[in-house]
Amino acid sequence: MTGTKPVQARLLELVRNQYFWGIVAIALLLAINVAADPTYLSIRYNDANGALVGNLIDILRATAPILMIAVGMCLVIATGGIDLSVGSVMVVAGAVSMEYLQNVGAPDSVGAALTAVAFAVGISALLGLVNAVLVAIVGLQPFISTLVIMLAGRGLAKVITEGQNTTASNDGFRWIANGYVLGLPVVFIIAVVIVLLVAWIVRRTALGLMIESIGMDAKASRLAGINRRGLLFTVYIGSGILAGVAGIFATASVMTVDVSRTGYQLELDAILAVVIGGTSLAGGRFAIGGAVIGAFLIATLDKTVVFLGVSSSATPAFKAIVIVVLCLLQSERVRNLFRQRRAAKASAPKEVVSA
Amino acid sequence: MRAGFVNANIIHASTSAPGTQSEPDRVPDLEEEIEMRSNKRIARAFTVAAAGALTVGLAACSGGGGGGTGSDGEELTTVGFVAVGPEGAWRQANETNIQDTFTEDAGFELKYAPATNLDQKSQIDAFTSFVDEGVDVILLSATEGSGWEEPLQRAQEAEIPVILIDRGIEPDDNSLYVTRIAPDNIEVSKGVAEWALSEFPDGANYFTLEGPAGVSVVNERNEGWDEVIGGESSFNKVGAQTANWSTEEAKSVFETVLKSNNNDVQLVFAQNDEMGLGAVQAVEEAGLVPGEDVKIATIDGTKGALEALAEGKLSFVAEYNPLFGETALEVVNAVLEGEEVEPYIIVPSEVFDSPEAAEEALPDRQF
Repeated sequence: MTGTKPVQARLLELVRNQYFWGIVAIALLLAINVAADPTYLSIRYNDANGALVGNLIDILRATAPILMIAVGMCLVIATGGIDLSVGSVMVVAGAVSMEYLQNVGAPDSVGAALTAVAFAVGISALLGLVNAVLVAIVGLQPFISTLVIMLAGRGLAKVITEGQNTTASNDGFRWIANGYVLGLPVVFIIAVVIVLLVAWIVRRTALGLMIESIGMDAKASRLAGINRRGLLFTVYIGSGILAGVAGIFATASVMTVDVSRTGYQLELDAILAVVIGGTSLAGGRFAIGGAVIGAFLIATLDKTVVFLGVSSSATPAFKAIVIVVLCLLQSERVRNLFRQRRAAKASAPKEVVSA
Repeated sequence: MRAGFVNANIIHASTSAPGTQSEPDRVPDLEEEIEMRSNKRIARAFTVAAAGALTVGLAACSGGGGGGTGSDGEELTTVGFVAVGPEGAWRQANETNIQDTFTEDAGFELKYAPATNLDQKSQIDAFTSFVDEGVDVILLSATEGSGWEEPLQRAQEAEIPVILIDRGIEPDDNSLYVTRIAPDNIEVSKGVAEWALSEFPDGANYFTLEGPAGVSVVNERNEGWDEVIGGESSFNKVGAQTANWSTEEAKSVFETVLKSNNNDVQLVFAQNDEMGLGAVQAVEEAGLVPGEDVKIATIDGTKGALEALAEGKLSFVAEYNPLFGETALEVVNAVLEGEEVEPYIIVPSEVFDSPEAAEEALPDRQF
């Protein structure tokens, strides 16, 4: 009797954990896919290019860009802000790299690939800097500042590519999104390394706490001597760079930048991933692990829709239902409702016993 | 005023319109004025001077506008073009061709208004502003088929003829517009389907990569295809998904489709070139050979697709001819002179079914 209690308590803790329902949702989606096709989870090895092949590997690849923008968004939201510009930064980064690679015309040059990456990351950092200046120095609302860059960014991409969808060929750049190391997609490995690096920096130093403190109470943190401006610069530039990396991933996959579609509305996916992961939009708290799970969930959901062959017109509704159910399960109020009902049920037989 | 212009993305192809020219003229004057203000001492004197310059500038420009049309002896016909904007190589060729045809030399002033990110609302805004402005003719390429009744009725009340370019509207009420000029989507996709029948006499498993749900082009391309293939029991449709005309999405969709069917798909019907090229990459990633294991047919006939056909990666490309600016010009002139025109004018298109045909066509491909 005494032994079961800690187990129950531990279970309860697990259920209340912010990651729990996200993981359950991923498992459920995978289970649905397995029900549709028992071989869904199977992974085989392709000798020709040393790659593991399977649906799970596709999900890992699809997760990488969302992972990047979700982690950036997570930190911005923790400061009480929001970054609506990530999708547009992606397309600008893609446009710059494709335009450069097309003009340099060196299909095997690794140097050209690295330069393209540097250009893309550079311009993304610049756009992040503009966001930071608007938010931290001019003092505009983050929603408005990043909305400006969201609209201007796509325009900028159109100017860079002259409104054309631009294609280029470069083996090195292509490898970023399509290559394999130890059987795993390079793009996923890069994404994981970057996420671990960011997580390590914010959690092993005081940076994470300081970011949370300005999101919690800007005034109190200023009185405590925290440099709000510097932190906002770090966070918005960081989000810009991560979005730029996501843009590289997205364009390198097909070596084409599509000025009206690349990164289109992905800011919403990023916000969704962050919220699913249990980070409050009010700021003051963040969970990078949660954002990672959110990103996995969104990629799994996207792939499931295609795998099950949900018709194009029903796709948005299917996604909406999954997300609404998940948010309901996570909501404190809905959970309390269930708890009350359970308590009522539990108390009813007790009375019978006492009588 | 500024914000309005940015939203509707109206770009004036010609600068001789009265009223539009005052914009660039006035801006430097205002800047001057602001600079002067910082210098307090002589501020007043210069403000007067700047105001004077502004008035002179405005007068000169309205005079210039009037003089411009007067010296030609005839007024330019203003044409409002509610366009789709960046979408792909096909659209680019089509809209550039229209812009290059309706020139000032031909007696037209073309106002080009591409949609913001394929958004229908921005198109309706641009359309209504053209009606309010009172242009002579409106050319419309709708991003979405439905929801155009009200704006079209407004144009009708203002007696502005509307000519649909490429995209149709739904429901197709041809009392609301003068004519639609377009290659026939149904015929083009029937052409693809007939090629599929001859290429796969024993049938095949096929997958359709569609454009966004609800767009008239998608419905028409499906209709033509289904008309031919739908009756063939040997052809098994493994599915259809939207990839939003995008290469990246098409690759992601088709890699999953290949897995869910254990690579047992022989034919892909991609409703535009970009998606077909995405499918090619997915096939290659899966270790299959495009053109042999999976044959991919696309519609549009852009340069990129013909290059892929020449390399044998695509198997069939049906052109959807974008270069019909000349036809549009003739129709506009006929309509303005009060002549009757057919409610649907079909632009002829070609098909390319072999690498040789593609190579032959590539050198003079304009789009």
